[in-house]
Amino acid sequence: MTFEMGEETREVQGTWDISTYKYLIDGAGMKLLVDSMKEKKIRGIKCPQCETVYVPGPTFCRKCYIDIDEVVEIGETGVVMSYAVEMADVRGNPLEEFRLTAMIKLDGADTWIIGTISGMDWHDARIGMRVKAFWVDEPVGSLADIDRFEAI
Amino acid sequence: MQRDIAIVAQAQVMTDSLDIPRERMLFDLVKGLFDKVGITRHDIDGFVLNSNDFEVGHTIANVFEDTPCGAYMKDETHVEADGMWAAQYTTMRLLSGNYDTALVVGNSSGASTFRPYLVMDYQLNPTYDRQLGILNELSTAALQARAYMAKYGAEEDDFNEIAARLLRNAALNPYAVRSKADATAGDVLASDYLYEPLRQLACYPFTDGACAMILASGKRAKELTDKPVWIKGMGNSVDTYYVGERDLATSKSARMAGERAYKLAGISNPAKQIDVAEVSAKFAYQEPIISEALGLFKEGSAGKVASKGLADLGGSMPVCPSGGGLGAYVFTANGLVRVAECVRQLKGEAGEAQVSGAKTALAHSQDGFCAQHNGVMVLSTEEG
Ligand SMILES: [Zn+2]
Repeated sequence: MTFEMGEETREVQGTWDISTYKYLIDGAGMKLLVDSMKEKKIRGIKCPQCETVYVPGPTFCRKCYIDIDEVVEIGETGVVMSYAVEMADVRGNPLEEFRLTAMIKLDGADTWIIGTISGMDWHDARIGMRVKAFWVDEPVGSLADIDRFEAI
Repeated sequence: MQRDIAIVAQAQVMTDSLDIPRERMLFDLVKGLFDKVGITRHDIDGFVLNSNDFEVGHTIANVFEDTPCGAYMKDETHVEADGMWAAQYTTMRLLSGNYDTALVVGNSSGASTFRPYLVMDYQLNPTYDRQLGILNELSTAALQARAYMAKYGAEEDDFNEIAARLLRNAALNPYAVRSKADATAGDVLASDYLYEPLRQLACYPFTDGACAMILASGKRAKELTDKPVWIKGMGNSVDTYYVGERDLATSKSARMAGERAYKLAGISNPAKQIDVAEVSAKFAYQEPIISEALGLFKEGSAGKVASKGLADLGGSMPVCPSGGGLGAYVFTANGLVRVAECVRQLKGEAGEAQVSGAKTALAHSQDGFCAQHNGVMVLSTEEG
């Protein structure tokens, strides 16, 4: 008798359900940022050696490989480094209103943060455009405390 | 080997309750190692980082390791298997001649994130071994322990003696997270069974931590340290994934891994030529299976080795003066830890656990259920 090689592939059922998990992250730079946002301010960490200003700040400089802890206040205005126009969501559903997402280098920072730009036709958006942050009425200390950016 | 490669220095950190971010643990460890050797991250030609998402406890874990290990804008690659494979890969990169210095760093934070036994379930063969929900890391270990006992007439007490020796040795190791200076087989016997014949104190303790090592080509190594530890040989061998296709009482893959390493290192009589061995056993019973496969002791001799103290610190073939996997078992990084412990021995830095006059050491590690994959490195104080 020979082994019948006829059967198709099989599906094997399984789940990954160990438990919820806890994982410690370096929260100092994020805490600094969201705490300052509660006051409608933006703070980052500056490396004393290469003078890079990180927002949100890590606790060590990637380039100089030293601990860093100098807090600096960043402006709420900045420049658009690049932008993307969301015309369909990630599941592929077309949006009725396009959303303008931008990477923004705030004045005084060397790294970029993300935000949405409102109040303009996306055709008019351009790299290098200056924008200003607008805050929610009652900030709670979260990344969503910046309601939007607008061109200035 | 084609080129002389040495380990320059090692650093370890281990804990049974991680209370800092993994990134901070890595930054402090690696920066401390650079400072100890007197170099900066720019002196490293190639970085090999070693972790596993399952064993760290979250997805894409390696992306958080690069900059804490000093790899910003550097040549960096990653190994997911046990650290032994990261150490061998790092050595091969140096052997290529394209690198003169390398950093290898292994780490895990999974023990404080998930219960490790549960995570291991997801490494089990999903097509058969996982389907009925009765095989897991402990039941497979118990099956393997029984198989050895039946084949060679060993008893649980032999394994408890091994565990007691390892716990005593761990008391001499500043990095160990579990130890007992005066441990006896009776102490192990008094601990609960997890699965018969596995007593709690004969199973690995849940450990988080990291191990980092700097390797270099011969000339560079001698510039960086007075005591380079030379890599004389290495080998590995993988058994079948399906547990039911193996003879669990012995380890053919450990034997073949050893033979490959011995051939490169010119070792014909390991029991005589090797002065100290760091064997990776997650459970006490695995130590005799592996060390016998590696030719350090006669096949099936666990009882005799224990009763005569042959593997003790003062014995004829000291095994795991560090306490091995029963003193601390950092998933993934464990293989690097075994190598690093050989480095401490060969540099004469092992303190009270020092094997006097140790010149040749064997580091072994494993991956998978019942030590499916085995790797060996032979290290020496002598160049060439
Ligand atoms: Zn810097």
